Amino acid sequence: MRMPPFVLHSPKSITEAMSIAETLLDIGEDFDWVSGGTDLLPNYKWHLNTKPSVISLAGVEEMNRLSENHIGGMVRLHDLANDESTHPLIRQATSTIASVMIRRSGTVGGNICLDTRCSWFNQTEEWRRSIEWCHKCDCDTSADCRVIPNQNTLCVATYQADLAPVLMCLDATIHLVSPSGSRSMPIQDFFELDGIKRNVLAAGEMVSHITLPEDAKNWSGSYRKLRLRKSWDFPEAGVAVAWNGTNDSLQGLRIATTGCESIPRSHNEEASSVLKAWDGEQSVKELGQMIRGVVKPVNNTYFPPSYRRKMLPVLVKRAFSSLIEGAV
Amino acid sequence: MSGAPRQSFDKTRKDGKRVAGQQDFGVPGSGGSSPQSKLQNIDNIPMSQGGQKKQPRGPHVHDQHITGTSIGKRTPLVDSNWKMTGQARYGDDIRLPGELIGKILRSPHHYATIRSIDTRAAEALKGVVAVATGKDSVNSFGVLPVTKDEHALAQNKVRHVGDLVACVAACDEATAIEALSLIEVEYDILDSIHDMEDGLEDSEHPIHDRGKYHIGESNIQKRVFQQFGNLSSMDEAAASSEADWTFAGLHHGFTEPHAVVAHWDPTGRLTVYTPQQVPHYLHRALSSVLDIPMHQINVYRTFVGGGFGGKSDPFPHEMCAAILARKSGSPVRICFDREEVYWINRGRHPSRIQMGVHADDEGRIAGIETDALIDGGAFASFGHVTTYYNGVLHTSPYEIGGFHYTGARVWTNKPASGAMRGHGAVNSRCAVEVGIDEVSEKLGLDPMTFRLANLLPPHSRTITGFRITSTGMRECLAKVREQSGWDKKFRNLPFGRGIGVGCGFFISGSGLPIHWDPENFPHATVHLQCDMDGGVTVHTGAAEIGQGSDTAIAQAVCEVLALPLDMIRIRSQESDTAPVDLGSYSSRVTFMNANAAIRAAIDLRDKILKATWELIGYHPDQLVLGDRRIYYKHDPAIGVSWLEAVHKAQADSGSLIASGSYRTPPMGGVHKGAAAGLAPAYSFSAYVAEVEVDAETGFIKVVKAWAAHDCGKALNPLAVEGQIIGSCHMGMGQVLSEEMKYGRNGHLMNPDLLDYKIMSVHEMPEVVPIIVESNDPEGPFGAKEAGEGPLLPILPAVCNAVYDAIGIRPDELPLTPDRVHKMIEKKCKELEIDDPLELPNPSFEPSALQQKISERAEEHAERDLQRDLLKDRTAYVNGVLFGFDPELPLIEQDEGWREAITPEQEDLIEDGKRAARAWKHAERRHRGDD
Repeated sequence: MRMPPFVLHSPKSITEAMSIAETLLDIGEDFDWVSGGTDLLPNYKWHLNTKPSVISLAGVEEMNRLSENHIGGMVRLHDLANDESTHPLIRQATSTIASVMIRRSGTVGGNICLDTRCSWFNQTEEWRRSIEWCHKCDCDTSADCRVIPNQNTLCVATYQADLAPVLMCLDATIHLVSPSGSRSMPIQDFFELDGIKRNVLAAGEMVSHITLPEDAKNWSGSYRKLRLRKSWDFPEAGVAVAWNGTNDSLQGLRIATTGCESIPRSHNEEASSVLKAWDGEQSVKELGQMIRGVVKPVNNTYFPPSYRRKMLPVLVKRAFSSLIEGAV
Repeated sequence: MSGAPRQSFDKTRKDGKRVAGQQDFGVPGSGGSSPQSKLQNIDNIPMSQGGQKKQPRGPHVHDQHITGTSIGKRTPLVDSNWKMTGQARYGDDIRLPGELIGKILRSPHHYATIRSIDTRAAEALKGVVAVATGKDSVNSFGVLPVTKDEHALAQNKVRHVGDLVACVAACDEATAIEALSLIEVEYDILDSIHDMEDGLEDSEHPIHDRGKYHIGESNIQKRVFQQFGNLSSMDEAAASSEADWTFAGLHHGFTEPHAVVAHWDPTGRLTVYTPQQVPHYLHRALSSVLDIPMHQINVYRTFVGGGFGGKSDPFPHEMCAAILARKSGSPVRICFDREEVYWINRGRHPSRIQMGVHADDEGRIAGIETDALIDGGAFASFGHVTTYYNGVLHTSPYEIGGFHYTGARVWTNKPASGAMRGHGAVNSRCAVEVGIDEVSEKLGLDPMTFRLANLLPPHSRTITGFRITSTGMRECLAKVREQSGWDKKFRNLPFGRGIGVGCGFFISGSGLPIHWDPENFPHATVHLQCDMDGGVTVHTGAAEIGQGSDTAIAQAVCEVLALPLDMIRIRSQESDTAPVDLGSYSSRVTFMNANAAIRAAIDLRDKILKATWELIGYHPDQLVLGDRRIYYKHDPAIGVSWLEAVHKAQADSGSLIASGSYRTPPMGGVHKGAAAGLAPAYSFSAYVAEVEVDAETGFIKVVKAWAAHDCGKALNPLAVEGQIIGSCHMGMGQVLSEEMKYGRNGHLMNPDLLDYKIMSVHEMPEVVPIIVESNDPEGPFGAKEAGEGPLLPILPAVCNAVYDAIGIRPDELPLTPDRVHKMIEKKCKELEIDDPLELPNPSFEPSALQQKISERAEEHAERDLQRDLLKDRTAYVNGVLFGFDPELPLIEQDEGWREAITPEQEDLIEDGKRAARAWKHAERRHRGDD
């Protein structure tokens, strides 16, 4: 298996990265950003939407900054999981991502921008040729989606990264930078409901860092995910919950899901509706059923969608166990 | 060689003479890792020879050849340093000057005829040296002589996605890949078959055409019918278990992808470097495909990065490399990508098995009824044998009242299934053992005792005529029962936690060498050669595939000759220098090759002893082989070094070579198919698994496994334990997570190691390997196999533990959480329970029969011991438990007794059996066609 050749650019600063990006944009050359490479490079080996140029952010030191409320895009998942300053919820979730080896290479920015996955898409070129391609990588054939046939307008590939729902529950802000400037937004606004578009990033734009609000430390939470093996496997469903207060006097409640749809989603409405009449275990049960109702996985990952959906209430229940049982 | 000096003797004698056997002799003059000759370690010499080694099951014919050197000692594999230092050369590590890279163009269609192939553009591409298509390889081949249905490249049809269509050799990989894209193939797509049940029906375009032997117009490749015993015993059963199982197909998941290098040397001979388990079959296939005599081919087995049965077929890509190398005049190397590994497959057959287990009111197994439909994929591979194995390999370890088997293997448009660790025995074994648990429960019996009360004894005959020599089945069960705390835990663990038992039985070497008459040629041959340096070179064709075959053979030789292991050099890689050997399959190597090696070593030893006799004047009967020293047994000071004896032997005869071979004794029945499953010995095993089942999610966690395996005699306990633990890992993969998933349009959805879920270290429980030594009378030093049998019991042990945990009896593998969750949902619905955590926890109330079968088990234990020690030499055949006289043919004692291999009409009328439907077709030759 061979990766197609590409030109590798290795800037040392965000400014330099932007100027390379600008140049490439100017000449109309398509490119990808690469940080840890654990997602992009396997996809390149499978010839999935490869680009002629790749800009590596590995040398951009300023993106490695990590503190209580600031997480650089190039912070390695391993460091995030092991740094004392990291929020406990982020630490817990990060320590379950993929495997040790992958966490030692994978980064925060890369995890957030993880390409969506689909069993009809994440295959070798020969394999995909045998199904006459698919919408997400159609090789200029206008191929249909293989999950929901007879349409090629929406890609339903699944977003299977772990950090996003956790960051949503902590009300994080994502900071983007592009040759034309920088912008910030709540992380839930970053994602776009389409397996190809995936997020708001414009051409040449990338994630520079994440910030957490000052009150993040007042929030506790938990992340639970569904996967067959305890290591390596992508989440087939993931639930992050965060709360402010105790079971007896709960002031705030947030919940977000991943691994079920093309984007991770926070479910603020559902959270506030149960918060209004919080009744501990019973509310958790209700919330679980609500989440099961609104999240709609499709048949494109390892487990069948019906099972993934049925597991959501269980994951919700288990995510809340420390709140309900009063454990830390 | 670490034995401590004996403590029981005093080093000084009052008369001033030397104490026998107590001297450390000087430099032995023949190398070895230690400068001093070691004393013989009598702790390792069996009692039958005057040593200290206990022999609870009596002496063995090889006892006299035990020198206490290596057998039974934990021995790191002799090739491990090569691997650990990264210097071992696997298939893709072979680099020859001027090599070209070969790549294969594969079919994108499940089933199609090839209208045309245009290779002109590819040939014109700069850097492309050779292109080959089906026209370059018209001769067929196959692993079994009766089913040669493969070609190096498709002739006129492609039969599965990934089937080989054309290949190119180019200066580098990128050019080769580009060339593939320039080959234009026009296909006419045919209706493909994916469901194995469809394979039983007539088809407009059967996937293969077997001419007059074709079964109707169907896709049935092989069908087997066997009925032994009295079916009425099953009809009158007191308790029955009927299950309809679905087993997903599996892949071996070995680390090293297939790779091959072919080279026509300047003399015109072909050398093929390949990680092969069975180099000899490849040798034969290459000869017929390439139309050159076998003596013009050297098959060089590289280090093998895992095989497990998946590298035992001659493969089309091996032919392709040779064809491209011949066309281009340069060495050609082909290395597979991982999904190509899945496309060539040869893994465990997807199977639908209907299993009926019946028990009578005395707690005996009245009968086993099996119907196995197995999905062979696009080619025959070993499937002929697999179809038999799915039935005949569960006729033991139990004594059964009747056996009724219908089996069929069909072609479908999938990658071909083949042989995989535990070949053909694994799925039906799982079904039988789960059935046995169910009938035990229905009769109010502890399944452990039920098994112990129904075992065939040592030196007996199974219902279909297999000869059982040694069996350690009883001891295996007893050990896992004790060590797992079975009696306290069974049906007593809290809901969600459970314990289960399963047994296994496997061949130790296939009795029939499929390519020749065993009367004419031996199964295995070993040559020894000893030169002036005193080291011994062993020539064997046994394929070291990581299982330790080189080590086992080296141990056998060094044991007989009392040499340190590092004086034995194994040359097992090249067919040019190795005697013909059937290779590493059917768990035959230890049994057959070590036996041949022992015979060769005895031959060499006799020559050495004769030379010693001439040197020191003592008859060989009076000589002892010590560590690199041969001496008079009553006075160790009188002796010569190994090297002196070697030199003397060479001076006498000019060369010092020896040879030994092994052939199986005549055995087995005479019916068609009697040779399938026939082996000179069988291994037995019993496992207990303890599991936790998360009833809310369906996740199963195996907490611990106690794994007792009877390998006859552990030549190398370290390797046996490794095999047991490795087998557990592999078997647990099958029971919990591994499957080849086919999508709705027949595509293999997970041809990669991310989605083909092999258990990781997190899922692997603690396995307690327990070695049971039944001392097989014909095994080398008593040994039997340990490579495949240990896989079988873990599947049913886990399934039965799941029942103990949550009261659900699985009938589908793998038990992925979604499947288990579905079973739990179904059960909750049946019982009208909302919360799965409120499902009832299975309990156990022993019935009146329990006491009776406990007593029978105890009687049988004594019976078995007497037979083991050969104190009881009466004949024993399956059926004695049911009151038959073993001295008379059973068919003469019971009117209803039948031994049939062709079905009567009424055998096939039963509705709902799948494989049985294979008999609704007649072979073309029997219906008047030609």
